[in-house]
Amino acid sequence: MSTPILWILIPLIISGMGLFFGRYPRILKWSGAGIGLILGLSAAVLPINETFRLIFWDIQLSDQLLVFGRRFVLSSADQPIVLLLFGVYFFWSLILNPKNVPGHFTPLSLSGIALIITAYAVDPIFYGALFIAFLALIHVVLLTPPGSEPTPGVLRLLIYQILGMLFILFAAWLASWVGFNRGDEFMLSRSLVILALGFSFLLSIFPFISWIPMVAEKNHPFISGYLFNVYFLGIFIFGSRFLTEGGWFAQGIDLQTPLQLAGVIMLAFGGLLAIFTRNLGRLTAALVISEVGRSLLAISLFRLGFPIYFSMVMIQTIALGGWSSTLALLQRGLPDLDIQSAGGAARQWPLISSGVIVSYFSIAGLPLLAGYPIYLALGRGLNPYPIWINTALVIGALGLLIGGLRAFSVLIEDSGGEIVFDLGDRFDKVVIIAINLILFFLGLIPQVPYQIAQTITDMMIGP
Amino acid sequence: MAQLLESIIAIVLFVCGSAIIVIPDRRWMLGILAMQYVGVFLLVSFSWPLEIAVVKLVAGWMATAVLFLAYSNRPFPGGEERLTTSVPGTLFMGFAALLIGLSMYSLMPTAQRWFLGASPQQVLGGVWLLGLGTLQLSFTRQETRIIIGLLTVISGFEILYATLEASVLMTGLLAFLNIGLAFLGAYLQMASSLEETQ
Repeated sequence: MSTPILWILIPLIISGMGLFFGRYPRILKWSGAGIGLILGLSAAVLPINETFRLIFWDIQLSDQLLVFGRRFVLSSADQPIVLLLFGVYFFWSLILNPKNVPGHFTPLSLSGIALIITAYAVDPIFYGALFIAFLALIHVVLLTPPGSEPTPGVLRLLIYQILGMLFILFAAWLASWVGFNRGDEFMLSRSLVILALGFSFLLSIFPFISWIPMVAEKNHPFISGYLFNVYFLGIFIFGSRFLTEGGWFAQGIDLQTPLQLAGVIMLAFGGLLAIFTRNLGRLTAALVISEVGRSLLAISLFRLGFPIYFSMVMIQTIALGGWSSTLALLQRGLPDLDIQSAGGAARQWPLISSGVIVSYFSIAGLPLLAGYPIYLALGRGLNPYPIWINTALVIGALGLLIGGLRAFSVLIEDSGGEIVFDLGDRFDKVVIIAINLILFFLGLIPQVPYQIAQTITDMMIGP
Repeated sequence: MAQLLESIIAIVLFVCGSAIIVIPDRRWMLGILAMQYVGVFLLVSFSWPLEIAVVKLVAGWMATAVLFLAYSNRPFPGGEERLTTSVPGTLFMGFAALLIGLSMYSLMPTAQRWFLGASPQQVLGGVWLLGLGTLQLSFTRQETRIIIGLLTVISGFEILYATLEASVLMTGLLAFLNIGLAFLGAYLQMASSLEETQ
């Protein structure tokens, strides 16, 4: 037995089997959550390369698997990442209402998680780009449920991911070539440009940003929220490993400035989109784009920024889960997700609207909610750097806050309509209350996610 | 003689890539795609052993077969979308393909600096397919054409990458990606008519 078999092969087999149970969404939901929990716990407690006793059997988990001469390695330093990914999967499986999503959501999302781990585990790391392309294929299927046409945003996502993969493969080859021919500045600069282009496609950095608002507006809010959360987490994890393992740092290249520049651009776009959008779905895009910008800024701080990044991932997962669930519920009660169509929604469905508002402002960075202390820590971390970076951080957050206030003022206005029907069942309401409470408490005790994130970083990089 | 053969294959690839953009009939388009994979296989076989290069052909033909079967089993065969039906439209796209061909040809000396182990014909065939596939992607919003555009781009990349690295795992993964894309194309064609489980 080896860790790649346990955390990659077994989830893939389970997800394949799960596709045959599409007509039993409730079973799929709870079994998905259970599998996420078990695999997450296994990543937390199982020792690697040591013999341990499981009921009657003595088992030793090896940390690598050899396939066609290439290694897939998941050592004890990678356990936090595996735990984080299965934790995110467990959370989304737990909050999903099986009535709102197609039956294949749970198995396909599990295979997506397994593919992210594969992309992270493969050695040499540039092979991971191919698994990211497979992940894009799965996400396209997730975003195009049976009975619907593929939206333009989904097709654009597919194109960008495939092109990104090709650029990364080529850049990785060039990097190895440069490694053998040190001092060839021409080839080094070219390979850097191609690498930047590849990751710009994958991370949807300007000008490849357009599919995010398109998907957020036209696709199911819950599925698109899940996709944004898991997809960008996967790309960031893969990208971090790619840069550290691929020897890019060894070349003495300044990666900090490009990362910060890209982060600032994304923050500016996110803020502007929030201010000018007229659709609640596109507000998701504004949140996601800003969060990508903040993540880039956090990662640009390297050792100091990783705890901030992992804290943001935790907060973002909870808040985006709350936002997507409540938006999916609102969509059932409204003709569309245009802000004007949602007039008076907070008076008709106050609990659901509270979920929308708390989740949104947590990611936007409103004080006392969960996101604010983490963004404050990010701002402090960016203090030694040029002033325009922190200015962009503040302006991006202000854009999100202004856009949110503008949108939600419509929600609470008196539209004169009567309560027509109740939205959401008891499960949905319990989820909304729980997420609201968690986001409030995490705002009061930010040290909890930060300490967890610090532990993850220490396990990955060393104290 | 080998150089002449390589040149002919590269030109055939350009013709196939352009024809896929111009021809509105999907059946013809898929037939030409199958022919394009023969060209890809032949160009790759100059860099790789035949038994590994043939993977490209098999995977490509499988992808084409999947797309063809999905096309012929569509529930509403009458409602086919055609990319161009007018003569000016066809001429415009043919002209655009020609421009791509010329610009890629002019870029070839630069491209050869990057692919030192490749012959000029391999570089030309690869960049032509990359360019024409990208052109196809920028012209259309129709899912089948986008999938074929992506398959064309990947084919061009495979020709170039074959001159850089010969890895069994990479070959297998790229073959899987081709077939996966074809299955995705088949699913996207059928998705709107599939029964919702929820």
